[in-house]
Formats: sequence, structure tokens, C-alpha cells
Amino acid sequence: MGDGLIRLEGVWKKFRRGERHDSLRDLIPALGRSLLRRQPEGDLGRQEFWALQDVSFVVEPGEALGIIGPNGAGKSTVLKILIRLLRPTHGRALLRGRVGSLIEIGGSLHPDLTGRENIFLQGSIMGMRRAEIARRFDAIVEFSGLGDFIDTPVKRFSSGMHARLGFSVAAHLETDVLIIDEVLAVGDAAFQRKAFDRMKEMVSRGVPAVIVSHQLERIASLCNSAILLVQGRVACEGAPAECIGAYARQQSAPAAAEEPTDGLRLDAIAIAGPQPVPSGGRIEAVVSGEAPPARQGLRHIVGVRVRSLQTGDVVFATGTLSHRLELPAGPFDLAVELQMNVPPGIYAVETTSGPWRRDRDGRSGPATLVHVDGGQGFSGPVQLNCAMRVAPRDGAGEKSRV
Amino acid sequence: MTNPPPLRQDPSRPHPIVALRDDLREMIQELVQYRELLLTMTRRDLLLRYKQTIMGFGWSILMPVTYMIVFSLIFTRVVKLETGAPYPIYAYAGLLPWNFFASSLRFAVGSLTSNSTLVTKVYFPREILPFSIILVSLVDFAVGAIVLAGLMAWYGVGLHWTVLLLPVVVLVQILFTAGVTLLLAMGNLFFRDVKYLLEILITLWMFATSVVYPVDRIGGQLGGLLGLNPMTPIIEAYRAILLHGTLPAAGPFAWAAAVSVVLLAVSWLAFHRAEFRFAENI
Repeated sequence: MGDGLIRLEGVWKKFRRGERHDSLRDLIPALGRSLLRRQPEGDLGRQEFWALQDVSFVVEPGEALGIIGPNGAGKSTVLKILIRLLRPTHGRALLRGRVGSLIEIGGSLHPDLTGRENIFLQGSIMGMRRAEIARRFDAIVEFSGLGDFIDTPVKRFSSGMHARLGFSVAAHLETDVLIIDEVLAVGDAAFQRKAFDRMKEMVSRGVPAVIVSHQLERIASLCNSAILLVQGRVACEGAPAECIGAYARQQSAPAAAEEPTDGLRLDAIAIAGPQPVPSGGRIEAVVSGEAPPARQGLRHIVGVRVRSLQTGDVVFATGTLSHRLELPAGPFDLAVELQMNVPPGIYAVETTSGPWRRDRDGRSGPATLVHVDGGQGFSGPVQLNCAMRVAPRDGAGEKSRV
Repeated sequence: MTNPPPLRQDPSRPHPIVALRDDLREMIQELVQYRELLLTMTRRDLLLRYKQTIMGFGWSILMPVTYMIVFSLIFTRVVKLETGAPYPIYAYAGLLPWNFFASSLRFAVGSLTSNSTLVTKVYFPREILPFSIILVSLVDFAVGAIVLAGLMAWYGVGLHWTVLLLPVVVLVQILFTAGVTLLLAMGNLFFRDVKYLLEILITLWMFATSVVYPVDRIGGQLGGLLGLNPMTPIIEAYRAILLHGTLPAAGPFAWAAAVSVVLLAVSWLAFHRAEFRFAENI
């Protein structure tokens, strides 16, 4: 273990819209057309479109890459190319090591076979030896929590049981590479927790992983890098927080035009101190960058936004302008102190930069994540630092006796 | 950017000979790596049949036995046919291997399309699916052989040393069957018509093979054409080694063996190279 590698090099994938000819009746005219006019591979036919355009990434051992994006962005296509179900039209996909793929797991369970028989079937489809499966059998059953139902035909399982069985088999594979599609949403909350911990453990053991999920919080806490796919293109790549922020912005205000550069540059944002931070705790983020010399009538501002990854909403935003700060010309460090008066969860601290304008946010800059956990318990969107006192009212006890 | 960069000399596309060698190596490697899946799939199919039908393996005997009875009536009562062995045993010795061949084809043609959830979600060498069908039919073949043994005892046909050649004949038949099923399963994935054409093909093919009567009685140009059919020498080989105690006719059997090997090699290679298009075309 530990020598797995995932690499995608300039991958393009062409798909066809609408119905494909799959009977001889349609084939003959289609063949005639293609004989008359040979179409180069790089061109698009009438019904064709690029499902992926020039997607590249490398995932080394111990790394986990999260792929996020709206439906139909090409996330699953990337995974299917990785596990060799599809071949790219252009470019190359390389996977080194034994692959554990969890793509719509449970889909390959046979309804008429029992859970036990399916464990062996599923395991051998994933390339496990019978003896290997037998050795892990008890662990698989225990992980799935199916207990006595293991000898029941899978068709009598609830959908949750179905998914749990599928995941449990996959989670006990000895894999060098993990490919995971939307399986973090399997089963009830307790099982999800367990499945998540299992994946985290595999990644920490050095198994490179590619994960597709709409649960952005899970991506944020499991992955150390991410890409955002929009209509088959990489719209953003980098830290999970940056991609998640870009995704959230893209969803709320899609296709905002890129602001012209004005010389103000933000390089990084870092948060000192241990995490998670308790609810109501203080953090200090340092934004480093470089500002151009001030010019008359042009104020350079740095904006800071805090976004909840649970909802995708900005919960707080401010900027240097509101704090009456002038940025010095040349390299600077901007310290931002925040009191996290928010419920537990993962938050992205995002930055923006640009000349001040009433209707614009400015260019997005680097972002980072804050885990908020523990502290005073409460629910709702804001921590109002509530204090409570209770005391017996004077004379109340005597009156009630009358 | 809406188009990919122009195609450079793609380093991933090697010389055809190198590609052929790499593909062959990959095919063998994958089959070795996934051999347990082949057995598990076979076990699954047998298990399912046993679970879902009352007669279980009885069905594997019923078809050849029924045909044997029908053709025995025709060729002993209606028309007398000289076959060199009692007709029922002659017919059954042809129907049994024919049924192995035909049922492999019948079930394998839909083996990819009926497992579409597997084909679109998990990677494994897809030839496992048709191959496991052949293994299941082989089990049926073995069960049906019990009836043949019974018939031989009834008619007093003794065993000869030539029975030792049985594995060779079975192997040649398996190779030929594998070559045909790969083409059918792949063809049916791209064009669902194949399944319907197959029914007609199997019927025609049966009467073009020495299953219930010796086709060499058909002379002339048609007879010459039928002589190319590799199934006839295979079935005649079973009769030779089991019923007559003679060696299979060398020329025709060598022809059948050669056709089987070449067909399997070509169709397996074609299958392997088309495999990556299965998931998006199913």
C-alpha cells in the first residue's frame, strides 16, 4: 500500500445527445453517412457535445481530491474514466494500484441472492479472492450492521440495508486507490458517520482518493484539494475552501464577469491556532498580499466573507473600507479577528479584492476553512451570547400555601 | 476553448504489433486475475437456477430427451435412417453436445445487456459474463451425459479406450463456442436485433449439422458448403469416440480445431478492443 497514484492528463470526452442507433434499421443509413464523410475526432457532430474539456489532475498517496460542481458538470464521467468504464476521446487517464471504486454501490447486488452470497459476488467483482473475502467476512457483516439478515435475499432488504451492505464490502477491500461517488449519503446518520470515518482512515493510511459529493462539508473535511467542474471544464482548482466558495458563488450568481486587475494582489490566508474552534471562540486570520501605490480617487479594498458550507450562504461579510483601513503600498499582512458566533459546522473564510464599487464584490482571492465545534450549545443561525439566571421569586412559596 | 488541441503524434498509440502483444498479454493477465470472478459468476447462475426453478437441473435433460423422442419417432417409424448405431442413442449423442452449444449461445447473447448495472458501474473483464454462461452450460452438459450413459447401458454400447479423447473434443467445442458467444454478446450490445436473428440462426445451424441425421447425405454444392461447418466434425467426433470406438476423422476434426482457435483469437481480441465502448453504448 502507499504506491497508488491517480492521474488525468488533458482529458476530453465527447458524448452524444439523443438516441443512438442500436438496431440494424438505423445502422445502415448511419454507416452510409460515415463512409461518405469521415469526421475528424476533434470535431463535434450535430448531436455531440464535450462532456469534459481538458481536465487534468494528479492525486498522490495520502492525498484526497474532491470534485464538486452542479449536476451534469461531468463529475461522474471523470470517475468513470478513472475506473476504465469509459475511455477519454483525448488525453490519458492513469491509475496505479488496485482500485476500490464506490460508484453507486449496491447497484451491483443481485436481488435473488442472500446477503452472504452477495458479499462473495460483490467482493470478487471488485477483484478480491474468495479466501480474502472469507477472512474479512465477519468484519464486513459487523460493519454493515445487518446481523441476522445476512442470510435473507437482498430483494427483501430496505434501501438503507442495501446500501450499507454495498458500502461495507467496498470498505473492506484492500485498495491502493479509492474512487468514491456520492456514497457519503448512504444509510442513516450513524452509518454515514461510520462510513465517513472509514474513508478518512483509508486516506490517512496513504491511499490516494478521488471523491465526488454534494455534501460540501464532507469534501471540506476529507479532502486536501478540490476541483470545481462546471459544464465539463475545471472552473476552479486549489484548496477545498476556495473551490467550495467558487461553487457557492457560481450557484448564487453564475457567470460573473472577471473584474479587471488593478494591481492589488492577495496571496494567501492563514488561520493561526488550533481547530476546531468552539462556538463563540475567536480566530485570527492573516491575509497576505501586495498593494500598488495609492492613486487619487481609487481605493483598494480587501473584503472578507464567512460562508457556511451547510447552507452555502454568506453569514457575514465586511471589508477594509468599513473598518476605515488604508492598505499600504507594497507587501502587507492584514490581520482579521473574528468571533465565531455561529453554530457548529464548517465555514469558509473567503477574501475578495478590488477597487470599491457599490454593486460588486470584487475579485475572489484565497480562502480557508474554519471548523466550529463545541462551546455553548444552541440552535439557530446566530450565537447571541445568551446568559441565563434563575432565582426563586420572593414569597412565592408562602402564597401558594394559602 | 471549444475544441481540443490538434492531435499530436499520440504516444499512447503504439505500433500495431506492439499493441497486439500488449492486448494479448492484458487479456490473459486479466483472465488470470479475475479467474475467481468467473467461478463466482458461474456459481451465481447455477445457484439462481436452482433457487428459482423446481426442476433445477432437470431442465438441462428435458430438452435433448424430448428432441430425441421426437426425432426417434420420425426417423424410425416414418423414414428409416441408417446411422450405424441405434437411432435414439445416435440422436442423443448429437443432441447433447448440440444443446451445450445452442444454450450457450442463447443465454450468452444477452449476457452483457442483462447485466447492464454491472457493465455500467464496475470494471472487470467483460468476457467473464459470456464465459461463465459457457461454464453453466457445461454443467448442464455433464448432467445430460448421465442420460447418455444410461442409454449406452440400455443398448449395450460398451466404452472404448477412445473415451480418453473426450476432454480434447470438449475443449475444441468450448473454444469454438467461446469464439461465437463473444461475437454474439458484443453484437447484441450494439444491435439488439442480434438476439432475434440468433433464434433463426440456431434452427438453421442445427439442421446444417449432423445432429439428428448425417448431413453428408446431402451431396452437391450445398453438401460441400456444409462440410465447412465446424460443428459437424465436433459432433461426429463425440460419436466416434463414444459409440464406435474409433478416432475422429482427422481432416475434418483438425479443420474444426483450427477454425475454433482462430475464431476465438480474433473475436476475443475484437471484444477486448471494443470493451471500453460497452458502458456508454449499452
